[in-house]
Amino acid sequence: MDYVNLRRQAASLRKSLFDQGYLDEQFYQLEDLQDDASPNFVEEVVTLFFRDSARLMANIDQALDKCVKDFNKLDVYMQQLKGSCTSIGASRLKTECTFFRECCRDENIEGCMRSFQKIKREHSVLRQKLESYFQLLRQAGPIECATRPSK
Amino acid sequence: MASSQVVKVLIVEDDIVTRRIYRTMLSRFGFEVTEAEDGKKAINHFVDGNEYDLVLMDKEMPKMDGVEATRTLRGMGIPVKIVAITGDEHSRGAFLDAGADEFLLKPLSILALTDILKAFNFLN
Repeated sequence: MDYVNLRRQAASLRKSLFDQGYLDEQFYQLEDLQDDASPNFVEEVVTLFFRDSARLMANIDQALDKCVKDFNKLDVYMQQLKGSCTSIGASRLKTECTFFRECCRDENIEGCMRSFQKIKREHSVLRQKLESYFQLLRQAGPIECATRPSK
Repeated sequence: MASSQVVKVLIVEDDIVTRRIYRTMLSRFGFEVTEAEDGKKAINHFVDGNEYDLVLMDKEMPKMDGVEATRTLRGMGIPVKIVAITGDEHSRGAFLDAGADEFLLKPLSILALTDILKAFNFLN
């Protein structure tokens, strides 16, 4: 197996996640917390994020399905999702969560619906990209920390 | 300080991902960490007789938010160091009025946390 090529692919995918705005500086914080004591910390936290965010999004889906929209409840759920996104550096998702909350404040249900569809798409894309990234890392085997992409 | 030599920290935060990250940050310093997912549970930890040296307090939480939890702890005469950590920059005044010792904006960095721990003399 060409480990050098796999590492190169992983580094390239990682760089693209930053370049395309999917991830921000906070993701570096997670990488900095990964060490010998917590060798899979980043993947564990990201896995936790996608599991918990799926739960929050299911709650939001249910709340949007109701005939009478509770904008306060929607805002609370989205505030929680936004907090999670902030913690892992999911930048594009975080931005869309902010927009959704603005729609809640304006009681703009159509805006909320459109925004939530975008959130679901962004969530799915980010999940696929990060799963691919971690799969490449696993295939490449233990590596030194990737260098940060130049700003 | 709590009776044991180990620094005891209570993380009060409703987001499980954020709690995980804080826990890992704090474990680097060898601290003992307890978690509460809302302000009410945080108060109950103290009511149950537990002692902590530091509380990391989120703002927006179900059942009891961080400002109210801070106010309640101070009302109970609990002198623990409370650091508010929230994405709501407008809540600084409310937190400090309620009795928080410090206010930080999310996301929390290890550098900002280290500076606070040093300021509180929790690091050698």
